[in-house]
Amino acid sequence: MKALLWRLASLAVTAGFVAIWQIVADFKLVSPVFLPGPDRAWAALVHGMVASNLATKLAGTIEHMLEGWLVASIAGVVLGALIGSSRFMRAYVGPTLEFLRPLPASAVIPLAIAIFGFSPAMALGVIAFGAIWPMLLSTVHGFAAVEPRLYEVARALHLSRWQVIAKIALPSALPDILAGLRLGLTVALILAVVCEMIAGLDGLGQWVLLAARYFRSPDLFAGVILLGALGFVGALALDIAERRLLVWRAPTNSP
Amino acid sequence: MNKGSCRAGEALIRFSKVDLSFSDRKILEAIDLEIMRGEIVCLVGPSGCGKTTALRIATGLLAPTGGGVAFDGAPILGPRRDVAIVFQDYGKALLPWRTAAGNVSLALEAVGTPRAERAARIDALLAKVGLPHHADKYPSQMSGGMQQRLQIARCLAQEPAALMMDEPFGALDAMTRQELQDEMLQIVRTTGATVLFVTHDLEEAIYVGDRVIGLLPHPGRIGIELKIDLPRPRDQIATREDPEFLRLRRELYEFIKSAER
Repeated sequence: MKALLWRLASLAVTAGFVAIWQIVADFKLVSPVFLPGPDRAWAALVHGMVASNLATKLAGTIEHMLEGWLVASIAGVVLGALIGSSRFMRAYVGPTLEFLRPLPASAVIPLAIAIFGFSPAMALGVIAFGAIWPMLLSTVHGFAAVEPRLYEVARALHLSRWQVIAKIALPSALPDILAGLRLGLTVALILAVVCEMIAGLDGLGQWVLLAARYFRSPDLFAGVILLGALGFVGALALDIAERRLLVWRAPTNSP
Repeated sequence: MNKGSCRAGEALIRFSKVDLSFSDRKILEAIDLEIMRGEIVCLVGPSGCGKTTALRIATGLLAPTGGGVAFDGAPILGPRRDVAIVFQDYGKALLPWRTAAGNVSLALEAVGTPRAERAARIDALLAKVGLPHHADKYPSQMSGGMQQRLQIARCLAQEPAALMMDEPFGALDAMTRQELQDEMLQIVRTTGATVLFVTHDLEEAIYVGDRVIGLLPHPGRIGIELKIDLPRPRDQIATREDPEFLRLRRELYEFIKSAER
């Protein structure tokens, strides 16, 4: 009941925001060339989906984002597990990671273009490079922070190395890994759009950029709305996954 | 009344001239100790006397720098599956992401119990430690006493010949501690396990033990050995009022007092 009220309240805030937007547009407080009302943006969205290729662009962006995110996630978790579970690896590789990590991923785009050209491979490389950091660092942290006592329990039970990873280290690091996955998804979406803008790949980035160049602001807003929705759905999906996987973190009756 | 009498004279765990030093600091010196089959031996001593360290050496988690510990005649080179360790910090020794049943299951998975047999074994073990209706609870939903019972259940899943207990009840309130002392003694009586029990609570040591070893600090070495001939099963009221209990208590307190000086 209470949860329902909260949800209604948050919906009301969204509706209020859209209403203000509509009023601002109707009274032409901002030139309609730059700011279409939500009605026009919605019409452009529907039109783009039905009559134009907006759906293809959306699919393109989803594909770029998910591919890059998946590659980054797998590589980040595997590398993070290797580095995090060994003190020596942490000491050896740590400084290099600290140098690479703060590099803005957009700064490696020219490099990626030089290597891969204006291709989907370039986008994949850039997105994966940018999105791997939250995954890698949170996994390293998760594996390094496993309770040492649990390793002693594992020794006492003669668990194999593989069993220790699967039954103790990985579940223990899971909350950190999920946080990394969530951050990584956001980064992947941002970089997917940037790559589409720069390399002209099929996607919402390109759609938004072209709409802006031709002063088709309703189309521009349609693209932005879709990007927002994409990020929202992605976060929601991870939220649900997290709640499923981390039931044990929400005790129903703590002592 | 001594439980190990059927195979008396046979040592299950034998410390011979165990030394341990970290760099130039001596932690333990020339510990010689035999623990008979089925015997409950308690290690007490002032803090810093190395009683937990001695237990860790006996479990194989820690290697001594001199001498050695033999289990059933074979030198201990690492942890053994038939030696279960009950850690004091049950909160850290349990897997918080597994339910009570899942935590017991870990030990069964380790020994390769077939999946089909696990559920029945888990139910029996949880019932044995008094947690029959808590199989689906996570550790975070259990009290300290329940969590420690759960850890004991996991240890029993190993079907241990020996239990190494490192201040197992030290973090519990007095009532829960006494309950668990009695439950532990009951379980040990039915399984016939040998127990090495580290505690800082002198009365607890006398109450549960067949023998109490007092360590002297800096470096840790054996200072006193008391045979506890109180009748079993022990009783929280009768045993603690027994004149022999009181005499042993006085002797042990005086030893600890002099050891701390």
